[in-house]
Amino acid sequence: MLIRPEAVSAGAARLIGRMSPLVLFIALWYGACSSGLVNSEFLPTPTKVAAALADLVSGGEIARNLFVTLFRAAVGLGLGSICGIWIGLMMARSERFKAYVTPIVGGTYSLPKSALIPLFALWFGIGNVTAIAAVFLACLLPMIVNTYHGVVTTPKVLVWSAQALGTTDRELPSQVLLRSAMPDIFTGLRIALGFSFVLAISTEMIASTSGIGKLIFLYGENGTYDYMFAAIACIVAVAFVADRVTLLGMHRLLRWHESAAADYERRRL
Amino acid sequence: MPQKSVLIPWRPVTSVVLLLLVWELAARAKLTPPLFLPPFSVVADQLCRSIADGSLTNDLALSLARAFGGLLVGTATGVACGLVMSRSRFAEWLIDPFVALGFPAPKIAFLPIFILWFGIGSSSKILLVAFACIFPVVIGTYNAARSVGRLFVWSALSLGSNRRSIFFHVILPACYPRIFTTFRIAVPVALITTFTAEMVAGGGGMGATLIYSQRFFESPTVFAYIVVMMCVGLVLDSALLSFQRRFLGWAEN
Repeated sequence: MLIRPEAVSAGAARLIGRMSPLVLFIALWYGACSSGLVNSEFLPTPTKVAAALADLVSGGEIARNLFVTLFRAAVGLGLGSICGIWIGLMMARSERFKAYVTPIVGGTYSLPKSALIPLFALWFGIGNVTAIAAVFLACLLPMIVNTYHGVVTTPKVLVWSAQALGTTDRELPSQVLLRSAMPDIFTGLRIALGFSFVLAISTEMIASTSGIGKLIFLYGENGTYDYMFAAIACIVAVAFVADRVTLLGMHRLLRWHESAAADYERRRL
Repeated sequence: MPQKSVLIPWRPVTSVVLLLLVWELAARAKLTPPLFLPPFSVVADQLCRSIADGSLTNDLALSLARAFGGLLVGTATGVACGLVMSRSRFAEWLIDPFVALGFPAPKIAFLPIFILWFGIGSSSKILLVAFACIFPVVIGTYNAARSVGRLFVWSALSLGSNRRSIFFHVILPACYPRIFTTFRIAVPVALITTFTAEMVAGGGGMGATLIYSQRFFESPTVFAYIVVMMCVGLVLDSALLSFQRRFLGWAEN
């Protein structure tokens, strides 16, 4: 689809208007620091943080660690989504499978997944596998639950129509069920995306030697707080962009769905 | 659902028993080193001993106090922010970008800031939990307050209510079910944040003991604590669900 230039500039103007309180916030922060209202030991000035940020970005420190974190989050999220969609679909299609799996899914769902980090560290050592395993499990559960919900609530009419037109049982998931469950699967994906960042960073803080979580923690321990704030600002920005991209993709892919327009407006916040 | 009338749901029970049996046998058969996977019976034994000597109860009480302290602060602030945002365009303009940025941010990344400002004791953890819980609550409350049926508001207006009483007697009660739903979302967030913060920063509680046990390779304790954390999540969620069904059932479709 073509994007009209005037739409882009209108969107940019709206974005600037929307984000202006952030400028206000930074001005207040600067004022509080320079007037000596808060101890600059505890809160570095925005200019110092910006300088640290520029240094981190130009030195490649951020890029290197961010890449490690994003790699772990993405692999865990990808694997978790695929398995979660499959298990959710199976649960919705087979009463027996559902009966056996429900207590395990229910138990794991309510378990705070970060509790497993020490266990995974014990099993897989310190490094990528531990982080990916933790992210995987955290992403798996929302995907299962949302896919299940989406498939179960597929309108019977759709299934009957497809069957009347000759869709076999094998084709049903890919042709009807998963497509109809798309909005729910995307909701799950968005939740899983949030979890993937949290778990990747938590694992790095607890049991890792690299990654942005470790970087933030190291700066905190060394007392270089301007760098610590800069690294945190980076991760907030990355998480924000990732969330927006998912939302945008969801909006694009679900254009055909009647709830999409209203949903998008509602979740714009 | 006719087959639900069976008193004991056999299949779920079977799968749990099977899982525990496989765990026990795999550990007993030394398929994995006992350090990696102690038998279930050893874990259960350790669990009983931890409860008996009071260490588990103390840790659990401390963690739950932190989680609920943070949850309370976060929910109260979040509901207030959400309601104000739904009533005032200025507040909406002012708060919206922070919510938009803060909602998808991994809150645990802010832990070093909270440690720097509030020390490594309970207060930094409680405030981090509040910070983690506030965003879903603000969004949920805001959406709830914005989607209150116009018909209710118009009816109240035509019956002579003023703005104040419409807010307290129409909009607020109409929001309760959805505020409660966001509260149900915030509870596991609070638990996860508390446990993780304790693991990273220490200072006692379930998470701290869990990570110490792992460092000293006391695997039975690690497993026992994980089992307890799972049960806490399960019990809290089913308690909230039954509360919702009992008192807010009127909102169900």
